[in-house]
Amino acid sequence: MIRIAAVGDVHVDKDVLGRFRPALEELPDRADVLLVAGDLTRHGTVEEARCFATEFGGLGVPVVTVLGNHDHQSDLQSRVTEVLTESGITVLEGDATVLELHGHRLGVAGVKGFGGGFAGACASNFGEREMKDFVGTTEVVARKLQDALLSVQADALVALTHYAPVPDTLLGEPLEIYPFLGCYQLGRAIDAAPTALALHGHAHHGAERGRTPGGVPVRNVAHPVIKQAYNVYQLLSEDVDLELVAT
Amino acid sequence: MSTQLDEYLEAEIQSLLTDGRIAELGITVHRREHQLVLGGEVESPLRRDEICRQINSRFPDVEIVCDIGITRADAPSEVEEIS
Repeated sequence: MIRIAAVGDVHVDKDVLGRFRPALEELPDRADVLLVAGDLTRHGTVEEARCFATEFGGLGVPVVTVLGNHDHQSDLQSRVTEVLTESGITVLEGDATVLELHGHRLGVAGVKGFGGGFAGACASNFGEREMKDFVGTTEVVARKLQDALLSVQADALVALTHYAPVPDTLLGEPLEIYPFLGCYQLGRAIDAAPTALALHGHAHHGAERGRTPGGVPVRNVAHPVIKQAYNVYQLLSEDVDLELVAT
Repeated sequence: MSTQLDEYLEAEIQSLLTDGRIAELGITVHRREHQLVLGGEVESPLRRDEICRQINSRFPDVEIVCDIGITRADAPSEVEEIS
């Protein structure tokens, strides 16, 4: 059994320091790893990255993240990644990590992702150079996720993104902004590998649960959606603690 | 001349919240008679107060109703089994 804690869109700055920490101190009793689905900071500054590392680092369990669009706001994503990495936090962008947990190998492949929209209402790689660049970015990013997922040999495989791979978890958001919240190409990448669970954030007004067309469970763990410090998901269950499993 | 409560004002406020140092993309703005109602959730009371302060400062004659909540950050009590 592996227990994965997950949250996204925590947007840490000085004013948030200490808000998550009490719940995070309990995390090692509840989960084996913490995955954070991007938007770690407000504006993607080095100072905010240090705040995130202070709040979410040193937990006693591995912490694996992707960046979100907010973490790119100051064009300092490389420095943000360095600060987090120096604090022992793994930042994925088109790559994967494998964690040995209770004798199981958990593979996590991650990418920030990008917009583009979903079947029937998506941007196409056609017309102006700017539009082709937009959709070209979507396709490159999705291909990176697929390659990362397929590169991993693990007992359980998790896809971690900031942008949504399915429209199911956007329910509650205005339809007009779906193309800025995710893209079907991420879902297709997730379905191309034996993925057990896909986690994303970004859609603050969305819904928590969905599935890819291939049947992979998708969870939107944006903090305003889950309304607690983190959710916990159990994979590879041999013995399920019925008192703790939600009905 | 008083500020018109119309779609352009909504767009200006969304832009103010997004482009400025607030960086909140998830705040909803609704017109209700002569008031503007702000909704959504943020990570701290300081951010909520700063949102209202910035809007008041930019549009002093617009009456703001702040329904912005602070997202809870408690530990979970349940685990979901993924199958």
